[in-house]
Amino acid sequence: MPSSTVENYLKAIYSGTSGAETPQPLLPMGQLASALGVAPGTATTMVKALSESGLVDYQPYAGVALTAAGRKLAALVLRRHRLIEQFLVQVMGYAWDEVHEEAEQLEHAVSDRLVDRIDHMLGRPQTDPHGDPIPDAHGLVKPQKAQTLLTCPLETTVTVARVVDQDPEFLRFVEQHRLKPGESIAVEERDPAADSVRVRRSRSRRLTIGTRAASKLLVRVSALLLVLLAAAPAWAQEEPRTALSGYMDFHFNKPELADGRLDFHRFVLLVTHRFSDRIRFVGELELEHAVVEGLEEAGELELEQAYVDFLLSRAFNVRAGMMLMPIGIINERHEPPVFYGVERPFVDTVIVPSTWFEVGAGVHGEIGRGWRYRAFVVSPLDAAEFDAEEGVRGGRQKGSDTNIGRPGVTGRVEYVGVRGLTVGASGWSGHSGFEFRPLFDVPVSLAEADVRYARGPLELRGQMAQVWIDNADRLNDLRALATGVSPNVASTIRGFYLEGGYRVLTHPRAGEVGAFLRYENFDTQHGMPDGYTPLPEFDRTAWVVGATYWPEPDIAVKVDYSIVRNRSAVVVAPDSFNIGLGWWF
Amino acid sequence: MRHAWISLGLVAAVFVLAVAAVQRPEPAPPAEEPQVIEISAERFSFYPSRIQVKAGTLVEFRLTSEDTAHGFHIVDTDVDVEIPKRARGSIAVRFRPEAGRYTFECSRVCGAGHAFMRGEIVVAE
Repeated sequence: MPSSTVENYLKAIYSGTSGAETPQPLLPMGQLASALGVAPGTATTMVKALSESGLVDYQPYAGVALTAAGRKLAALVLRRHRLIEQFLVQVMGYAWDEVHEEAEQLEHAVSDRLVDRIDHMLGRPQTDPHGDPIPDAHGLVKPQKAQTLLTCPLETTVTVARVVDQDPEFLRFVEQHRLKPGESIAVEERDPAADSVRVRRSRSRRLTIGTRAASKLLVRVSALLLVLLAAAPAWAQEEPRTALSGYMDFHFNKPELADGRLDFHRFVLLVTHRFSDRIRFVGELELEHAVVEGLEEAGELELEQAYVDFLLSRAFNVRAGMMLMPIGIINERHEPPVFYGVERPFVDTVIVPSTWFEVGAGVHGEIGRGWRYRAFVVSPLDAAEFDAEEGVRGGRQKGSDTNIGRPGVTGRVEYVGVRGLTVGASGWSGHSGFEFRPLFDVPVSLAEADVRYARGPLELRGQMAQVWIDNADRLNDLRALATGVSPNVASTIRGFYLEGGYRVLTHPRAGEVGAFLRYENFDTQHGMPDGYTPLPEFDRTAWVVGATYWPEPDIAVKVDYSIVRNRSAVVVAPDSFNIGLGWWF
Repeated sequence: MRHAWISLGLVAAVFVLAVAAVQRPEPAPPAEEPQVIEISAERFSFYPSRIQVKAGTLVEFRLTSEDTAHGFHIVDTDVDVEIPKRARGSIAVRFRPEAGRYTFECSRVCGAGHAFMRGEIVVAE
């Protein structure tokens, strides 16, 4: 058994290199000597001896680290120390500020057998009275995900997990102010000028402590973690592997000359699972319009995402399953609090048919300073479902027993290397005439470009997209023969929009208010095949003006007025007044 | 005789001072100033997403969000913190990397493009 001096050195190096406060690969000799209360020369002599024994790795002028053998010995000393502390408090009735010195003596005297019996008797505790993790009999410690009161989120309930200073006076201070491990508190404010942190213990009890004291109190965020602690102690201190989140969208729409409609438009749940750091699953299930009765107008239950990501490196990753097409701003970025307006832009509905999702596989990654790419092979659109008003939107196969005789390809390149700026270009190409082959095919291409700049209160967006549909004349002819009515599908459709938004009011407690204005120009019959005439009601413009109130960043209360105009002298496009409530969790 | 006593006293004083100087503990090393790197998180990217530092440098990441709460996890390390939501302040985390490449990522699901929120720390010798 190593001497108590050796054990104290190993313990000090262990704490210095992997302690709770500032882990570092090498402990400088000055810090080691200071921690042990010895002269630097004395520490150096001892460390050289430990190095010869293979317990530490000593690098002159740099510092010292433990070898695997030294690390295990140190962890076992800590195991004895912490179990003795827990025993003294739990069984012997010691106060938590009395046990450290006792344990300092006893840790060198008790046998491993006695320590194991104590461990068994106490019910194999995970932590000592101060919240320090107790290594197991092999010297392994479960990682703790904890933050200090200086780093945890403000105004968030946290649980004190650990007190890293064993000084009796400090421990009495912690006990007196009910900041012991297990207590729930919230940090209200940090004042760098006064070096202080204001902590709330309950609705009416507040306490201001210095930053030094705050740095010694480790806390855990998340009520979910506490629930897991009770249910699954074996992995409770790790990041949850399966997580649930989602967003919802609740709308009131009042078209001109018609009654208002109240609609629970979207109820979306995201389930993610982490098989490992490298392999993840993401699933997104969306219920539209609250009820599913079989037809789209009555509601839809859609599996919009269900893919596995193999995260190989920053530059190259592989994805397979049901996934979002990487086209435009909204299709991949449509949580209600992140865009202005109750409804999504028209261009992102009838030109880019968001939400556009398909089954397939491909690669994605980021290169250099902010150049991102994605490239996927996916099921193509179905030209048999294209129409005059919404272009290719009806052609989405949505991953349901899809025809993939000739798969589509899609990709996006975007630059995010300037703070707040995203510039992107994307495309899609595929053969969509599988219902009409071998008579003819319907090659379809889509090109899109977008820019978004968001910095502080300002947000600017612009996007344009165009779709080319080859053999639209033959498509119209054949469908007219089959049904008696020509769908009047265009050979090109296109649209663009520009939007400016500004957060006019920002208050730390009341939230934020932003106003926006958007202009859209979109035409689903921009170019017609020979022999077909464009219908002027589908050449449209829209002005949408409105405001969003964020009582907190994940909730958006929206109001807007939409003025839509078309070129038809007969068909009138109604204006509409809209109110929306959307949230993300 | 008086001169001899004074000389002896001086010698003794010098000896005591010399011993004290030798025995005096080395002054505590000055607190190390970390290299501060500010990172902004937003659905679905970090800015900057590529960071270069020298091995052994104590790095302090100061993290803020432009929208919802995000996570900041350096893969294969214990660094994993939650970045507070927009306007709720920032969070700081310190890290002393060895040479190599580290991937960092958002560890709190933040939306449909959550999986794209990744970055890289390049640590040179």
